Amino acid sequence: MTNPFNTQQGAEIGERLNPLVAGSGATDRSRAPRTVQIADGRVLPTRRRRSFPRWFADTGWRHLIGVVMLVFASFPLLYVLSASLNPTGTLVGSNELFRVIDFSNYIELFQRPQQPYAAWFLNSLVIGLVTAAGTVFLGALAAYAFSRLRFTGRRVGLLTLLLVQMFPQLLGVVAIFLLMSGIGEIFPQVGLGTQSGLILVYLGGALGVNTYLMYGFFNTIPVSIDEAAKLDGASHAQIFFGIVLRLVAPILAVVGLLSFIGTFSEFVIASIMLTDPQTQTLAVGLFQFVSQETSRNWAIFSAGAVLAAIPVMALFLYLQKYIIGGLTAGSVK
Amino acid sequence: MKVTSRSFTITGALAMSAIVLAGCAAPASEPGTGGSGPEEPQFEGSLTVWVDSDRAGVLEDVAAAFEDERGVSVELITKEFGAIRDDFITQAPTGNGPDIIVGAHDWLGKLVQNGVVAPLELGDAAADFQQVAVTAMSYEGQTYGLPYSVENIALVRNVDIAPEAPATFDDLIAAGQAAVAEGAAEYPFLVGLDPAAADPYHLYPLQASFGAPVFEITADGTYDPTTLALGNEGGEAFAVKLREWGQAGILNTNISGDIAREEFVAGKSGYFLTGPWNIPAISEGGINYAIDPIPSAGGETATPFVGVQGFFISSESENQLAANEFLVNYIGTDEVQTALYEVGGRAPALLSAFEAAQSDADVAAFGAVGAEGVPMPNVPAMDVVWSDWGSTEVAIINGQGDPVELWRAMVESIQSKITG
Amino acid sequence: MSNTIPGAQQPLLAPPPAQLSGPRTATRSHAQTVRGLLIKIALLGVVNAIAVFAMFILVMRESWLIFAIAAVVTVIINVIYLRPGWLPAKYLAPGVFFLAVFQIFVVGYSGYIAFTNYGDGHNSTKESAIESIIANSLTRVPDSPTYRLTVVEQFGTFGFLVTDPDGQALLGTPDQPLEEVDAEEDSTGKAVSVGGWTSLGFGDLLANQGVVIDLSVPLSDDPNDGALRTPDGSSAYVYTSDLVYDEASDSFIDTTGGEVYVDGGDGAFVNDAGRELQPGWKIDVGFENFQRAFTNDDIRGPLLSVTLWTFAFAILSVASTFVLGLFLAIVFNAPHMRGKKIYRVIMVLPYAFPGFLSALVFLGLFNQQFGFFNQVLLGGASIPWLTDPWLAKFSILFVNLWLGFPYMFLICTGALQSIPEELSEAATVDGAKPFAVFRLIKFPLLLVSVAPLLISSFAFNFNNFNLIYMLTGGGPRDIEAGVDAGATDILITLVYKVAFGEGTGRDYGLASAFAILIFLIVATVSIVSFRQTKALEELN
Repeated sequence: MTNPFNTQQGAEIGERLNPLVAGSGATDRSRAPRTVQIADGRVLPTRRRRSFPRWFADTGWRHLIGVVMLVFASFPLLYVLSASLNPTGTLVGSNELFRVIDFSNYIELFQRPQQPYAAWFLNSLVIGLVTAAGTVFLGALAAYAFSRLRFTGRRVGLLTLLLVQMFPQLLGVVAIFLLMSGIGEIFPQVGLGTQSGLILVYLGGALGVNTYLMYGFFNTIPVSIDEAAKLDGASHAQIFFGIVLRLVAPILAVVGLLSFIGTFSEFVIASIMLTDPQTQTLAVGLFQFVSQETSRNWAIFSAGAVLAAIPVMALFLYLQKYIIGGLTAGSVK
Repeated sequence: MKVTSRSFTITGALAMSAIVLAGCAAPASEPGTGGSGPEEPQFEGSLTVWVDSDRAGVLEDVAAAFEDERGVSVELITKEFGAIRDDFITQAPTGNGPDIIVGAHDWLGKLVQNGVVAPLELGDAAADFQQVAVTAMSYEGQTYGLPYSVENIALVRNVDIAPEAPATFDDLIAAGQAAVAEGAAEYPFLVGLDPAAADPYHLYPLQASFGAPVFEITADGTYDPTTLALGNEGGEAFAVKLREWGQAGILNTNISGDIAREEFVAGKSGYFLTGPWNIPAISEGGINYAIDPIPSAGGETATPFVGVQGFFISSESENQLAANEFLVNYIGTDEVQTALYEVGGRAPALLSAFEAAQSDADVAAFGAVGAEGVPMPNVPAMDVVWSDWGSTEVAIINGQGDPVELWRAMVESIQSKITG
Repeated sequence: MSNTIPGAQQPLLAPPPAQLSGPRTATRSHAQTVRGLLIKIALLGVVNAIAVFAMFILVMRESWLIFAIAAVVTVIINVIYLRPGWLPAKYLAPGVFFLAVFQIFVVGYSGYIAFTNYGDGHNSTKESAIESIIANSLTRVPDSPTYRLTVVEQFGTFGFLVTDPDGQALLGTPDQPLEEVDAEEDSTGKAVSVGGWTSLGFGDLLANQGVVIDLSVPLSDDPNDGALRTPDGSSAYVYTSDLVYDEASDSFIDTTGGEVYVDGGDGAFVNDAGRELQPGWKIDVGFENFQRAFTNDDIRGPLLSVTLWTFAFAILSVASTFVLGLFLAIVFNAPHMRGKKIYRVIMVLPYAFPGFLSALVFLGLFNQQFGFFNQVLLGGASIPWLTDPWLAKFSILFVNLWLGFPYMFLICTGALQSIPEELSEAATVDGAKPFAVFRLIKFPLLLVSVAPLLISSFAFNFNNFNLIYMLTGGGPRDIEAGVDAGATDILITLVYKVAFGEGTGRDYGLASAFAILIFLIVATVSIVSFRQTKALEELN
């Protein structure tokens, strides 16, 4: 693919017109500084130093919004951070934030034999990642079928996926307990008290609203790609695993992230399923610090919650390059 | 296919062992196997105990001792305390619930109503416990649980601001307002209230001092859940006082439990109506405090609700005898009750352990106040009472409507909900 | 090979991957097919092995219904994957399997409960209710002595060897009242064994505890004297019971007053005066719960205002979070912007903290006297954020916006990637204003993929019990109106108050009936709005 333009202005237009050339913010950094050679041989940097108003009109206002949102999103959480740094901290007792800075809560978090925070952390990571991977896989299979194949019951099936999850499950806990104790009698490895059993329950929700997100994205991938591959003799499985999945990488990353966050913070089912402190997840374990009105420990709970937010942020940071750069990266390579 | 067959073998082996285990455990409950005779004592079962994480550490040692001496293993399952009651009610009937749970005495009515708790005969050991604890663990004349702790609120006083214990609540208000006027304090009095639900539990001693308990107390000392006593003249007098205190700023629904604690620890008030759970923060904050009886507002003794925690046996347990042995002879001992007290800071229910704990002045002081107290009602109808009670108190304190009329409406509403 | 046919559903896309355009060798494709086949057979083998194993156990347990279901499912799975064709089934089967087991079952169970009286007081079977009533009615005779006990056994019959307070040894069985015997005593004077009987040690007691606990040895021939029972195998007490269960007439008889409690058909034993024995048991009640749901005055009174607010809350929540999330997704979708990674990560923060923790923080921030908003931001104002009916509504929406915008931001960021930049850029070059480009080109495309998620989000917020419950509990309640509904109550919280907060306590049957009715409302709204979107349209 050659760039038809050779002036700077042309290059910019070309970039904008063709995402293959433009790449994206996430891939920008890995590239060598872009330069454009103009007719007389001089080399100019593509990004000229622009005047402030122009910078502001183009990018600056975005930073302004970014800063506003930064305050909006993180401000209430400063209370949590402040409480976590104060040994006798309460969540909202005072507006004097960060009166005391003391990391003893973070240390104590890892020194309670009855509340093995490190184990919870690891459990949550493993359960979250496995569930997210399973959800993406099952969901992508289904989304592909709904998007590419025509069969009777397709519309009803799509609608059912949505409606099933709308049912207010007041008694979901009772039903899941009955179900899992029944399954546990046949397969103790996935019964009550096991993390694998919990993952299976979570995978029950793999088809659902996330499938729609993928379905919508699949629909934007031209069928002609499938057809071309078919002409080349690829089987449907090869097309799906080898080509289509790579093209929809951004949405797989988004669904994986959503599923991870959902699993990471899920409390109700996990508290029914996991009873041994060593097998419990963060959501279940942490809540024990504050569940009793008379022995609430907001300080340690806050410290635990602050640390628990890190994996979510780290995963998002990692996945951003797939989410943002996924489309182009997938088709270029 | 190698992988397939191996995983099948593993799965098979695991599941076969499960079948064998299940086969062993099940017949223990069937009378038919009784004939196998005493020669071969083969007890394969184990006790499953639900505890909250604070209690789990202590119970681990007891469980080990029980296994050593009695040959029955005890499996401790850590659950979040608030979830234990409801999970127990739904899981016990499936036959997969625990044998023993830790819980609060006011759950008892619900547990009995749902048929999930078995009576517990303390035998002669009953006399070894504080009377109020055993009464709390009883429902309709039957004892159900083994108590381990007793707790109640009292008046915590900042000696530097309020050197004298007030004789009446009016004295307290006067002294408190004087301190505010002098600039020694910011609040005449502190108690944690919820903006939507006030806190009938904390305000109850004041209400009781007007002679208005929740339910009529029958001759045998238990509550009659069908007859509300809230609505008597004392109750209405209390409602009028609530309005007065609300307008005078003595009670403030914006001061939540957390804020009240923070402000008291900051030395901004002379009086704080609270329980032993806030004492660690108060003493760490360097407050020079004393614990006093709650002064009467209406003339009668201001009796707080006493909360009792203990252990209950499941009616569906296949191991009732072992469970009974574990509770009465292991949890009910001086050692364990003391250990539970040390980890939770709640006064022990066992008299001998309670006496020993008196060496701690705070425990002694709260205990003295609790001796006047009555157990919080454990009838199932309490669930209905709390919500109306709290929201009415909020309205009265914040000056909406006529206090007496609101109070009457509340009594009517509760009454109609109880009778369905 | 052209992929540039424009169309609403099939936007422009970059040329397909290069590897596709080149000729592909047949051998490579063939090798991959063989490998795929092997993987498929191996996976199917594992599934079948697990299934056969499960069926084996089900046969052993004689669970025929579940066995039949398992067998049918296994056969279906094999047919799907072994038979050529049926492509949709091949792709859908794994997800649908999990969906059926873990979701449909749960929904079905909740639905079934609506037709029972399950709830507090009706928690288990009739058998266990009878057992509980019997156990609870046994009371120890006040001030009666403790008998020291040795449990003994003879030919499979268990008996009590007790030492009465006077030191006399007595032996009895459930069929044979206590009689004096000569027994061997230990150093404390406790009778420990008697000729012809074997004494049980603690291990033996445990092995037979089900029987021992139920042993009831009458003191004398007169049943009114009571019977000895043991809770622990080492001491026995005299118990009497006020209530006697008569199996023949299926009723309890109160021995003190002679009252009879019969099975009244409502899942409880009831006497003529209407007094019920606790506990009752679970029975099927048909449509009774639905009838109660429709005739309940506490629901009907505030129904209109609560329903309006429920819709307003759900719609405004979706709209506000979506608008903000989409706006931010677009703002930070700028290729040249530095630091947008950091902005993006910070904006996911509200999503990464436990929801109830955030709600509690906001509860504090909104505090009328001490909260940050009033005290710091507004310099000591006294705005009743959560206790004024309208402000409370606003506060709820504000908090929900904070909690919900990261989700919308994430899905919009993801969905935006499917819209090729050149579409809108080309239009920009043609002179269209940026907003017009967005409104006319990007937005409709985006909506196609996110509309179902908006509908789902609407349904979620329609039943967003936790937020309301944590923040205001449905309040502020107009205490003088005498209605239990507050200004921020939505249908599900109102249902909760009615089904769990009146009469006997939690009434799961009634709650499930309400849940089904609410589901019907939400489902109808969803299906109708679904029709409005193009999500279900046939493509290509």
